[in-house]
Amino acid sequence: MGRSQKKILVTALLKAANLNKSFGGVRAVYDVSVDVPAGSIFALIGPNGAGKSTLLNLLSGVYQPDSGSLFFNQASLIGLPAYERARLGIARTFQKIRLFKQLTLLENVLTGFHLHQDVPLWKCFLPGGAGRFRGEAMDLLSFVGLGNRANDRAGALSYGQQRMLEIARALATRPKLFMLDEPAAGLNAAEVEFLLKRLQNINQQNVTVLVVEHNMDLVMNVAQRVLVMDHGVRLFEGNPREVQANPRVIEAYLGGAFAS
Amino acid sequence: MSGGLTRKKGTVFLIALIFIAAAPWLLSTSYWRGILVLCAMNVLLALSLNLVLGYTGQLNLGQSAFFGIGAYVSTILIKTYGWNFWLAALAAVAAAGLVGVALAAFAVRLRGHYLAIASLGFAVITYQVLVNWESVTQGVRGMYGILSPVPNAVALFYLVAGIGLVVYFLLDNLVRSPVGDTLRAIREDEVSAAALGVNAAVWKAFAFGLGAAIAGLAGCFYPGFVGTLVPDAFGIVESFTMMAMVIVGGMGTMIGPVIGAVVLTFLPELLRGFGELRLMIYGVALTLVVLFMPGGIVQAWVGLKKRFS
Repeated sequence: MGRSQKKILVTALLKAANLNKSFGGVRAVYDVSVDVPAGSIFALIGPNGAGKSTLLNLLSGVYQPDSGSLFFNQASLIGLPAYERARLGIARTFQKIRLFKQLTLLENVLTGFHLHQDVPLWKCFLPGGAGRFRGEAMDLLSFVGLGNRANDRAGALSYGQQRMLEIARALATRPKLFMLDEPAAGLNAAEVEFLLKRLQNINQQNVTVLVVEHNMDLVMNVAQRVLVMDHGVRLFEGNPREVQANPRVIEAYLGGAFAS
Repeated sequence: MSGGLTRKKGTVFLIALIFIAAAPWLLSTSYWRGILVLCAMNVLLALSLNLVLGYTGQLNLGQSAFFGIGAYVSTILIKTYGWNFWLAALAAVAAAGLVGVALAAFAVRLRGHYLAIASLGFAVITYQVLVNWESVTQGVRGMYGILSPVPNAVALFYLVAGIGLVVYFLLDNLVRSPVGDTLRAIREDEVSAAALGVNAAVWKAFAFGLGAAIAGLAGCFYPGFVGTLVPDAFGIVESFTMMAMVIVGGMGTMIGPVIGAVVLTFLPELLRGFGELRLMIYGVALTLVVLFMPGGIVQAWVGLKKRFS
């Protein structure tokens, strides 16, 4: 019993092997393999242009890889479009925020429940076919600290708030794997602190978190495993302490300040 | 709040009903009654385009073709095959809707200007088919002696306006439902809609198909109203007129396109006193609206209300 439980814990939820993606002559992702353990908070770091966002786009289905294999819960994702992957339980946020700016916060989050809507189409033509997710959507807005802004337009939010709204909207899909592309970019210290806490809350609800990040505080404090990329290749993988101690990583990314 | 909203909607519905009932008696010459019928058809057309353009954000310039398909399919079924009007109308609506879905299936990878060009091409092709497929459509010679399903213009106005009211009611519910959220999500950002599990192709086809069906429904009443049917009524200019109605009124709102359709139906008639200057004034008015009220009449009204309250 104990052994099998442990085995579940170390099973990879997402398993990518030898992924390649080129744009023209540029190899954005070169032969990258990665296992994201189920239930973990997994960080993907690397200098600008390392291929992190491209890898995330390969995993979420915005791009298809040129070659390589990709499994989620033992099912191959190769060839599946983004909306099919969302159906399987993969949610994401974007580095460049992509909210529905003309819609209210509540409408943004309600749209996230698309996969779970069960109002028959004909009922949508009649009064009262509003769906049953309003309460849950409000809970999600409160969870990210925006409960009192439900009827404002998303475009009216500050940058940091927009990032949090994108998180709430993605959570509405009820993901098993939640991927965030630089969620702390442009956030102030207090907002980063709040984000950190929320990422841990999300992870505690059995959601595997994969976060692409530049903010080292965030990576070192919340991630259990870290994959370092540079120039499109996999440079190193380990726990945060190992990453901080690894000379190749220090040389490629963390720089002289950490070396001393 | 919800109760207040329902009551407000009920009041608006009642006012609309009284307005429709009184209109043919306020404008009681046969000329103005004819304009009223056209106005009711234009409202239907504007509503149909607004679903695709205003809510789903797809730049569709082919709406005149669906109007024409509705008109021709229903008339041919009635004149050539002796169908009953309502059965023919049902078939025409289905035909227009299916062609709409088919167009969406072809155009699904196209966005913005490319979709505009493709749908414009579709409108041109449809027009050419109507002109050249003479054995079926009689081409430019046209079809004559087409009867209206109801005895006179007042009855036809009541019929089309009543249908317009029902369509408005159904669409108004639709855009407030989860389907409305999905369509607007596609309009706002297709990539993030996909990340939330939205299959944009399917929902675009839904919007195109439903919009086309409604335009086809409007088309069923047109030939009986005019009495004749020629392809020129469904040229691409009609598509642009519908688009002007949607934009002038306020696209992406429910009431906006209705107001736009009423204004742009009556404005050219009211300007008849200006003789040759008429179309110029009409054009200048359109340009001014787009320049100074980019959100259309509805947004301008909301802005005014805010300023004075």
